[in-house]
Amino acid sequence: MLWLVRSAIVALYPSGGALPGAADCGLDGFLRRFRREAPALVWLGVVLGALVFHFSAFFTVFVPLPAFLLPAGLRDRHASRIASTNVYLARQGIFLVKLAAGLCWGADAEVRRRLALPPLPADPGTWRTS
Amino acid sequence: MRHVAFRAAGEGPLDGDFDFVVVGSGAGGASAAVTLARGGASVAVVEAGPWRDPSDYPSSAYGGMRDLMDDFGSQVAVGRALWPIVQARVVGGTTVINSAICVRTPGDIFAQWEAQHGLTGLEAPVRAAQERLERELSAEEAPEASRGRSNLLAKAGADGLGWSDSHYMVRYVKRCAGAGQCLQGCRGGQKQSLNLTFVPEVLSRGGTVLSCAPVERLVLDGRRAAGVRGRFVHPASRAKGASFFLRAKRAVVVAASATHSPVLLLRSGLKLPALGEFFRAHPGTGVFGNYDSPVDMNVGTTQGWASMAFRQAPGLKLETLAIPPELVASRLAGGGRELMERLTRYRHFAMWVHAVRAESTGTVKPSLFGRPVVRYTLDRPDMERFRQGMLLVARQHFAAGARSVIPGITGLPYELTADQLPLMESAPLDPRRYVAILSHLFGGCVMGRDEKTSVTDARGRVHGVQGLVVADASVIPTNLGVNPQHTIMGLAQVFAQALLDEGAPARPVPAGTVA
Repeated sequence: MLWLVRSAIVALYPSGGALPGAADCGLDGFLRRFRREAPALVWLGVVLGALVFHFSAFFTVFVPLPAFLLPAGLRDRHASRIASTNVYLARQGIFLVKLAAGLCWGADAEVRRRLALPPLPADPGTWRTS
Repeated sequence: MRHVAFRAAGEGPLDGDFDFVVVGSGAGGASAAVTLARGGASVAVVEAGPWRDPSDYPSSAYGGMRDLMDDFGSQVAVGRALWPIVQARVVGGTTVINSAICVRTPGDIFAQWEAQHGLTGLEAPVRAAQERLERELSAEEAPEASRGRSNLLAKAGADGLGWSDSHYMVRYVKRCAGAGQCLQGCRGGQKQSLNLTFVPEVLSRGGTVLSCAPVERLVLDGRRAAGVRGRFVHPASRAKGASFFLRAKRAVVVAASATHSPVLLLRSGLKLPALGEFFRAHPGTGVFGNYDSPVDMNVGTTQGWASMAFRQAPGLKLETLAIPPELVASRLAGGGRELMERLTRYRHFAMWVHAVRAESTGTVKPSLFGRPVVRYTLDRPDMERFRQGMLLVARQHFAAGARSVIPGITGLPYELTADQLPLMESAPLDPRRYVAILSHLFGGCVMGRDEKTSVTDARGRVHGVQGLVVADASVIPTNLGVNPQHTIMGLAQVFAQALLDEGAPARPVPAGTVA
């Protein structure tokens, strides 16, 4: 399922513009960490959101193909439309994918540099043990 | 002095006897515990989450969700829409991840509690406790040097509109450096969250703290609370550890939050008609202003400005709130190149929010697995307030010089100019169209005189059960219309003092006399 989530994220946060895309921000490592560390229900929600993303292109760009098989231009139009769909649960599913991706994208040092923000130190992940 | 963090199953069960066992270490639990410890009682604080110091705090929003939030921040209120609930699961509770906003309980609230719920004798002791708390926790106005442009613009916009109240916030933050990291925990240690203040004081006074220790149920001996049972959970692997049983000779104080306290009581077999009922919240949302020159909202204090001009009518509190790029990315509508283009404007955004003093009520009940399930939907008058609050914030942005606003209402254009505001005025009232959160939670174990419509009395004592007190936001029977931390802390200290006064004379030790 990882590739399905990854390809949805890459389509929602594409590279090539003024800011780095999700694929430029250590996405693979982040997704492995996210799957390992997030509660199962959260991960399940993200996977369901990615499934909605890939299998709803017929309703947005009227092509009976999963989004990962669409040409880049059409996939981008699908990404724009499905993220703002009036179907609430579908929009919530896409929101979850965008949220997970945003957590990776917005913490990236290069993204933060372009937004005039200092790089973030690593999260220590520690706690008091005594 | 004793802090027990995670304890593996192989290390055997843990048990102990104390005068008081306090469940939860947030605003309510820590405030009650420190009052009890200062009164000379032996106290154990039991917290579901780990104890993290500023050096342990995460920097990223992802780390904040993983390390500090309850259930990775995934808890939602279920109703017509799914709106997230923001709560922490860490020693210090939500005081670690909030903006430490300090607002005294408005006088009209005490009058309302007396008239509608028969709660008398609270105003004077809560006021006295709040005055003491302000001194002890260094409540001060956001300093000029750390306000940041977003807060300055908000003040200018409100002043320009002639609002009757527009002020820089008073917060429990000592010499705020304006790092803009309140939501991930203040790594500089300036925020006086209770993991840095009251919980260590409980330890230094001989108390015990169990962290990574969710309580599974209260132990009842007939109609008396005798203690708590639970099992340690590893904060990273979530593996179950050793079990624990803490006996309370005098009382168990439950302060596990407005979602967890009622569910703990229900899981423990308590049957009261009002238990889990009358859940309330301050639902809120933000409107981005899009300015010509950079605002850099993450430079300066996360929340530094507020207005209570609309608290009575229509029932709103307005505030600034800086959110990091990680969250802005998902908050903005759209996807693909269109989203990336929108994100290039990040530096020009200022986010200001409203919190609705909603009258709608919901319920909190345990799921099949024992977790809290919140059912809550705003009724039409509350949704009208909600929309009205967004309009006020939008107008404030324009008064401050924004070129457009981004309301985030599905079905409306992504961006609105000042002459397009009538579109917002007629926006649909369906909650599914809005991106909102429930930030301040109340009820579920509400105070009152009538046992049919309340769970506790005016000192948090659960009706019909001896030695069981609830001391957190779940006892608050109405919406406050202001940030609740100060009220929760004041009430908890009053309840704890009442417990001390009920028992044998203890050995009072004034605050600050123990290193």
